[in-house]
Amino acid sequence: MAEDKYNLKNPAVKRILQEVKEMQSNPSDDFMSLPLEENIFEWQFAIRGPGETEFEGGIYHGRIQLPSEYPFKPPSFMLLTPNGRFETQTKICLSISNHHPEHWQPSWSVRTALVALIAFMPTNPNGALGSLDYKKEERRTLAIKSREAPPKFGTPERQKLIDEIHECMLSKAPPVPQVNSSQAPEEQPTNIDGEAQVNLQNAGAIPTGEVQNPPVAVGDRIVEEVHEVPVNTDTSPANVRASREVPSSGLADQLLQKPENRAHKAADDRLFTLAAVGLTIAIVVLLLKKFLKSSGHGALFMDGS
Amino acid sequence: MQNKDGPQADGELEAATSNPTPDFDDWAKFGDDDIMQQQTAIRAEEAEKAPFVGDKEPLSSLAAEYQSGSPILLEKIKVLGEKYAAIRRTRGDGNCFFRSFMFSYLEHILESQDRAEVDRAKSNVEQCRKTLQSLGYADFTFEDFFALFLEQLESVLQGNGTSISQEELLLRSRDQSISDYVVMFFRFVTSGEIRKRSEFFEPFIMGLTNATVEQFCKSSVEPMGEESDHVHITALSDALGVPIRVVYLDRSSCDSAGVSVNHHDFIPAVGGLPNASGSTETVSPFITLLYRPGHYDILYSK
Repeated sequence: MAEDKYNLKNPAVKRILQEVKEMQSNPSDDFMSLPLEENIFEWQFAIRGPGETEFEGGIYHGRIQLPSEYPFKPPSFMLLTPNGRFETQTKICLSISNHHPEHWQPSWSVRTALVALIAFMPTNPNGALGSLDYKKEERRTLAIKSREAPPKFGTPERQKLIDEIHECMLSKAPPVPQVNSSQAPEEQPTNIDGEAQVNLQNAGAIPTGEVQNPPVAVGDRIVEEVHEVPVNTDTSPANVRASREVPSSGLADQLLQKPENRAHKAADDRLFTLAAVGLTIAIVVLLLKKFLKSSGHGALFMDGS
Repeated sequence: MQNKDGPQADGELEAATSNPTPDFDDWAKFGDDDIMQQQTAIRAEEAEKAPFVGDKEPLSSLAAEYQSGSPILLEKIKVLGEKYAAIRRTRGDGNCFFRSFMFSYLEHILESQDRAEVDRAKSNVEQCRKTLQSLGYADFTFEDFFALFLEQLESVLQGNGTSISQEELLLRSRDQSISDYVVMFFRFVTSGEIRKRSEFFEPFIMGLTNATVEQFCKSSVEPMGEESDHVHITALSDALGVPIRVVYLDRSSCDSAGVSVNHHDFIPAVGGLPNASGSTETVSPFITLLYRPGHYDILYSK
């Protein structure tokens, strides 16, 4: 079923190839995703467990299937690494039950969905199908275990890709999950509650947002800012990273966006000062020029008459 | 799903008849899966009944549809017959406005061979591209749709290797892999225009739903199959600079002096002014759509 040969005239193929290219030219530390060589509708991915959660340091592999109607229809996701949040080998349901899901739209992409998936990890599953609600300790144990070896899945070709992705993610991931650094286990629950509202559609609604910019840079800047401002302990970097993609709708989203604004502020002030000085100089120069010009003309006129 | 096939379609509110058709099979739970399957079945049934864009039919076929229906409607269709000769139906899949616009516009270019109009439209399309870029859309998410529309625009102009005939235009409009891409192109353009001028559109959107501009675009403009309202029409008309006339066929009657059929002209904004809609006769639309609550078809003047 998956191994059907695709038609290069198929617009979906064109689009997917473009996504592959985009993914490679803007790599992220948080995730990696590549299609199988023999079938670009079948992808493998790995995501990094969001920082300052029980998933930190974990490397979670999964499989993506793109429908032939892509991007009109959404990709489907399945995790392969045991993680304690999503069942493995089960299609992930990212819409929270009893919440009317918004529609998938063609302006979203595999990248958008992966970012959403990461943002989803620390949220409360609320009993959604295919979700698991393991204890933090168990999840932490699984996170450590996830680094040891990539999951065994599929054809040798697929396995090779999984192994490659694992190597690459491992080289970028923080050295060892700090099991003991449970600095704020008390704060996590409130955080999770607040975030339960984040759903795929919100997190994924990037149309605006910095899709084109290397997201890593933005994320890093915000993360640093958060570390400098200890007041924000309840906003983990993972959330902040997600907030970049979250439009300002809904309470949870607004909460998440605050740190980002703060991060911009200092830079903004400096920019404004520079701009003001620049403008003043420009105006003075223009005025001088005009004055000289008009007086020159004036003189000429006087001479002439 | 719209119930455009029901002769009594107009009795209900548009909102009540619309049943957005999410395409979630893969995300969905079992319950949703069932719903999805049902929706797919409904859509397949709908597809058998009507192509995306139908054949041109005489206006009498519209009257036939209401044979045993409301006398007001029959009366109105008679009035319509004084000005309009034919109708071309589109499928009631929530994309009917965009689909009608697509065919009507391309057909107009094909018949008029108006190169100036094509050039003008192209420069507007470039503007729309910039709008989306400035709003932060990644190029790869919309460029295929843009490229496909520009290709169609180019091919309805005769005299180059890729020129197409009227029949071919109809075939393409019925081919999902072209038709849906063009519809999606219009959705991008519409969404971009609304977001770009969010202050202008905000009150209209507030009046329509309780959503913010952002939410509205996300839930009612960009997803396929979401029905269009005057907000969409205004935005598309402004963005592409193409005037659109919408003729309303509903059961409202304006008493005494016999029935009349209302229409509304969407005249594109010039120089960033808001859409100067109204019955300004300075620009006359070459696109006329027939609106029956919940559905748009194409009308042809005599």
